[in-house]
Amino acid sequence: MNALVPLVVTIPLLGAAIALIFGHRPRIQIAISSLALTAVTIISAVLLVWVDTHGTVVVNVGAWQPPWGIVLVVDRLSAIMLLVSALMLLGVLIFSIGQGVADNHDETPVSIFHPTYLVLAAGLFDAFVAGDLFNMYVGFEMLLAASYVLLTLGGTGARIRAGVTYIVISLMSSLLFLASIALIYGATGTVTIALIAERVRDLPPDVQLILCCALLLGFAVKAAVFPVSFWLPDSYPTAPAPVTAVFAGLLTKVGVYAIIRTDTVLFTDVPLAVPLMIVAFFTLLIGIFGALAQADIKRLLSFTLVSHIGYMIFGIAVGSELGMTATIYYVVHHIIVQTTLFLAIGLVERIGGTASISRLGGMLKASPFVAILFFIGAMNLGGIPPFSGFLGKVGLFQAGVQLNDPLAWILIGAGAATSLLTLYALMRVWNMGFWRRKDEVKNYESPLIQSLAENPDDAGEIDRKHTPRLMIAATTGMVLLSLSLTVFAGPLFDLANRAAVANENHSNYVDAVFPGGVE
Amino acid sequence: MTLILALFAAVSVASPLLTRWLSTRVFYVIALLPAAVFGITLAQTPTIASGGVIEEKIEWIPQLGIALTSRIDALGWLLALVVTGVGALVLVYCARYFDADEPGLGRFAGLLLAFAGTMYGLVTSDDIIVMFMYWEITSILSYLLIGHYTGRKESRGAALQALLVTTFGGLVMLVGVVMISSFAGTTSIASIVSEAPQGAGPTVAILLILVGALSKSAIVPFHFWLPAAMAAPTPVSAYLHAAAMVKAGIYLVARLAPGYADIPGWQALLVGLGVWTMIVGAWRSLRQYDLKLVLAYGTVSQLGFLMVITGFGSRDAALAAAALLLAHALYKATLFLVVGIIDHQAGTRDWRKLSGLWRSTPSLFVITAIAVASMAGIPPLLGFVAKEAVFGAFVEAAIEGDFWGWVALVGTAVGSVLTVAYSARFLWGAFGNRKKIVPTELHTDGWGIQFAPAFLALATVVLGIAVPLLDPLLALYADTVPGEGHYHLALWHGLEPALFISAAVLVLGGLLFWRRRGVARLQEKVPPLVDASRGYWAATQGVDRLSAKITIFAQRGGLSQYLSTILVVFVLALGLTATLGRTWPSGIRWFDSPAQLVVAVVMGIAAIAAALAKQRMTAVLLAGVTGFGMVGLFALHGAPDLALTQALVETITVVVFVLVLRRLPVKIAQHNKPEQRTRRLIIGVLVGLVMGTIGLIALGARQAPSIAAELPRLAYEEGHGRNIVNVMLVDIRAWDTMGELSVLVVVATGIASLLFVSGRAKALPRLSGSRNQRRADNRRNVIDDPQTTEHPESVHRQSWLLGGLKVSSENRSVLLEVLVRLLFHPAIVVSVFLLFVGHNSPGGGFAGGLLAGLALVFRYLAGGRYELGEAAPIDPGKVLGVGVLLAVGTAIGSLFFGGEILQSAYLEADVPVLGHLSIGTSSIFDVGVYLVVIGLTLDILRSLGAEVDRQQEDTDLEAGTDDDFTPAEVRP
Repeated sequence: MNALVPLVVTIPLLGAAIALIFGHRPRIQIAISSLALTAVTIISAVLLVWVDTHGTVVVNVGAWQPPWGIVLVVDRLSAIMLLVSALMLLGVLIFSIGQGVADNHDETPVSIFHPTYLVLAAGLFDAFVAGDLFNMYVGFEMLLAASYVLLTLGGTGARIRAGVTYIVISLMSSLLFLASIALIYGATGTVTIALIAERVRDLPPDVQLILCCALLLGFAVKAAVFPVSFWLPDSYPTAPAPVTAVFAGLLTKVGVYAIIRTDTVLFTDVPLAVPLMIVAFFTLLIGIFGALAQADIKRLLSFTLVSHIGYMIFGIAVGSELGMTATIYYVVHHIIVQTTLFLAIGLVERIGGTASISRLGGMLKASPFVAILFFIGAMNLGGIPPFSGFLGKVGLFQAGVQLNDPLAWILIGAGAATSLLTLYALMRVWNMGFWRRKDEVKNYESPLIQSLAENPDDAGEIDRKHTPRLMIAATTGMVLLSLSLTVFAGPLFDLANRAAVANENHSNYVDAVFPGGVE
Repeated sequence: MTLILALFAAVSVASPLLTRWLSTRVFYVIALLPAAVFGITLAQTPTIASGGVIEEKIEWIPQLGIALTSRIDALGWLLALVVTGVGALVLVYCARYFDADEPGLGRFAGLLLAFAGTMYGLVTSDDIIVMFMYWEITSILSYLLIGHYTGRKESRGAALQALLVTTFGGLVMLVGVVMISSFAGTTSIASIVSEAPQGAGPTVAILLILVGALSKSAIVPFHFWLPAAMAAPTPVSAYLHAAAMVKAGIYLVARLAPGYADIPGWQALLVGLGVWTMIVGAWRSLRQYDLKLVLAYGTVSQLGFLMVITGFGSRDAALAAAALLLAHALYKATLFLVVGIIDHQAGTRDWRKLSGLWRSTPSLFVITAIAVASMAGIPPLLGFVAKEAVFGAFVEAAIEGDFWGWVALVGTAVGSVLTVAYSARFLWGAFGNRKKIVPTELHTDGWGIQFAPAFLALATVVLGIAVPLLDPLLALYADTVPGEGHYHLALWHGLEPALFISAAVLVLGGLLFWRRRGVARLQEKVPPLVDASRGYWAATQGVDRLSAKITIFAQRGGLSQYLSTILVVFVLALGLTATLGRTWPSGIRWFDSPAQLVVAVVMGIAAIAAALAKQRMTAVLLAGVTGFGMVGLFALHGAPDLALTQALVETITVVVFVLVLRRLPVKIAQHNKPEQRTRRLIIGVLVGLVMGTIGLIALGARQAPSIAAELPRLAYEEGHGRNIVNVMLVDIRAWDTMGELSVLVVVATGIASLLFVSGRAKALPRLSGSRNQRRADNRRNVIDDPQTTEHPESVHRQSWLLGGLKVSSENRSVLLEVLVRLLFHPAIVVSVFLLFVGHNSPGGGFAGGLLAGLALVFRYLAGGRYELGEAAPIDPGKVLGVGVLLAVGTAIGSLFFGGEILQSAYLEADVPVLGHLSIGTSSIFDVGVYLVVIGLTLDILRSLGAEVDRQQEDTDLEAGTDDDFTPAEVRP
């Protein structure tokens, strides 16, 4: 099993290398990336099953013992994140292959897209398996560097502008992360997560608090937590649809994952519940208000993305076993549903010619099937039963109620309000874009869309493009996957619970890395 | 029961397909399903009658305590019969109501059937969270069904309004549901009710749940969505908005009443709002001319009535509630279906345009008259029996001196008077003669459409007479409500107060109808008490405006604001924690040698100057100074490897900057106002201070020894190298290096992607012809480039570099060409040397690659892009690819030999010149590093150098001359 762990990083990297070498051969590139991601998906699934039955897998890279060498650690949480990310990356890859074929590679020039996409995947997987704080940083760097390239694909003015915002902010978050690693190394003399976890406990509480805050701030920027979240809606929506989908689904969740690790493994003694609850509250509400003010559906979704990060932060703040279980389930749900919705909107934009609520119309008639895909995704994001968004929310609310703390009550209220407003924002899209006839759009007046702000980079009506079956098939597959979260909610919650229980007690993690005890 | 629900789901999904095949007949087919379930439920009657329940449980999400539990008791049985029976009839009605060419017919059929299934699930589910799930699904289906006429703006608006109002209540309810299940420790409704938790928490929880029930059942102040929802096709109004969905709230109250009717606030809320709703709804109903709206407001009123009796909380009231619920479902569904027929056949629902219908369609008139009579409470119909029971229960309570008993009695009596009045007005309005109007012509299409309402009307009559049979079944539910009670449903109870009240209500109601003109005048004078609909619009628009304001505020500043927010948060969070902390380092050592201080001061000055610089080039060079300061610090710390690498990196960085700056304006634009600059200055200084402080604190807090102490020994003994840095890079932490290599690759690719938008696969331009041919050309000074022919003097000069010929003369430097010609190859050799000795001495793949890269940089600087093409006639993508392939391949290789990933193996040998070498697999890894660095440099040169050259030349050619070229940005 040990041999499988590094493969989740090395296979995509090998794929990237080969894809670079075959820069002129799109077909080979497509084959390579599909193969690589399929392989990682299978490996992740095997790892998840193995880890769930046999316990955490630890790999000492190069046979160097920790804390000198780098360790890779796959516990249930890592394995879940690996599998979900691999599935998303694969689904989006298939979508983008379809799109590339249809657009003759204008939007996503393959010679660059495939290697970069694979490096992004490798970085993401590395961040999930890293048992070494610096290596986690390297994983972040890989995925960020790749994301810079993917965001600016095609080099249009709007994308460069968005890219500048995104790159500068990401560099700042990386800088904070790196500085925090330096501080932590300075205070503990190691970068191995398990050893840090042991050594920080000997530090004075105020020093622990400083280190923890510094680290969390870096992650919070990545995860787009209020008040360091404003950059996201200005950055994500301008990229090509598949790229935005991956960013929205996965990149913020790496930050959430890192926050979970910080809270449950690294700094278990630091009391974070209250500050996390407060930022969760504002993340939820300010985010969803942002969504309500948008005419552009991709921007709208970016704001809901920020908003719903608040649910996860809330779950982390509650910190109980149930809270963590629900958070893990919610993370999985949110990855899948956000990615799916962005893909669906990608389809809508191609078919309807615009992603602005004020100009979109007649989608239900134009493509009932895509309408259904969007509707299911929207319901799911809005937290309507029986979809996974609802189940995750119920889990979070239950955890909050059990905490029985005034702040938790406020958060539950904010969570419910956010759910309602999300539904409002998305159903307004449905009313205007799907139900309204195309011929009504001109001079349409409704109090519902009076206060909406258009996308500053709106390119106006774009040419409608042929939509290949492959794109629709990929989106359909993702929707089905999101539905399976409901059907298999029982086993999934059980799994999330086992992951949460293992995470509750940080010594599980430490013991796995140092089976003979620390030092 | 789960099987039944699965069948509903499956058939619903299949309905659109079936519709293509069967057209409107599809409704007959799908009606079979609810009809069958009605039959099954009816067959369960003996079990229910004997006081049994039918249970089924399937585990679903044990972690959240959610299970698919169904439980049919007397109340569930009653509701299940109503939703399936009315559902089947409405579906049958639909087959005649819709034309075959109705748009979205298949969707409609599927949704309506799905709704029937969901309602069945709602009333039979015992798990409160699953029940809530059905609850919300009905809201969504209602949204989709109200919006059936998607082309009508008012339909869409009404649908959204209904959805938002009911979901608002739903979410409040969800909080209550989660709370109550948490307090009760179970999600089973039966247990939650039978072992009701006490205290403030559960009380709040139940009140929150009631908000959901009130919004679903259109009770004031949520009532306004229901009349608007009449934009739906009439079958939807009949089923969802009269018989089934709006009853969900009543059902829930009825469910909870046995356990919670005595909690504070329950009675006040339900009786108070219920009475108000009943009166307001009936009063509004009297004002309507649209037959459907008469019924809609009437329904609001009746729901209020139901809420009062259901929420009252005594045993007799509960019995009356069950009877009224059934009666209402029967007569109201009938009336809606009748209105649908009139609308369909006469083409209008405005009764001012109808005349003489009683004569033209007597059968419909009879059906309607029965339903209206039941609604008004005329014996011997079910409505009368129910109303008698209601008054009986309230009189009983009022006699006992219960305040809410009096409120309920008086309120419902007044409401009933109005009900009688609008009932009569409805019948008269729909079927009566109008003097000035020509008798309405109906285009009937058969009697089939009257089947459903006729059946329902018949049920009203039959059940009214057969009420003694019904009584024990309904009493089964009523008996679960605590308290004494002995009432039985019957047509005749003797001369009791309730009978007199009923009679008085009928008389007064008739009076109101008789004096309807006076009533109408009064209506105009009394302003509407609450205009909740306006409240809804104000709320949505308020939320929209608030959102816009908040968002504009939050997103106003763009990048610089986002960045300063992050930094301010950093300063506040860490500055606060640092200053509040009590751990301060003792014995701070400021520097090890004075030289460090000097370097630090220089770096500081350079950094500040860079921030103040007005020209880009100055800023870059000053930033370079800080970089070289780091070189100095590394060197002073005894890290020559780091110093060497850093120096090479800085050099390349400066070169890259220079290449980029060619295309940028010379000066840095000054957009910022002075106060912004001051603010940024303060933030910058604070960030630096805080970072420095926490650095001191963190380093001062160290207790355990650093792992670094062990590294020299490990590097030598295990890593076979004396150069710790290199061993770290290619062995101990090679996994990091591998990752960073991919970062380099991606950066190179990214830069290329931006400059070669069309794809970078294009090779660099090379001199034409074979190598020998080109040498000959060089000697003969043959020029084929139009640019260089403009500068004839260059023709006569021998070139040291092949590509040099393509460079215009004023850009050429013979000295540089000679130096590059002489040094290029030695530099490459040295770079390879660095690569291989790196394991023990300063050097390594990274430094070696940088050196080779620098050599290429100079070839390019001296000879231009053609020279670069000659020096490295390869696709950098391939170099990068091969480099990564080598590195990752080495990493994986060890797995095949049973080792861990990246585990090294060594081969030791004495090699001339290089000395004793210990070649490990890590060296192959280092070759990969070397190649990637070269590939990166090459790629940057190609894109930022060669491609920018080419673009610039294109621009120059377009501009006509290259002397006065100014980038677009700085032109006035």
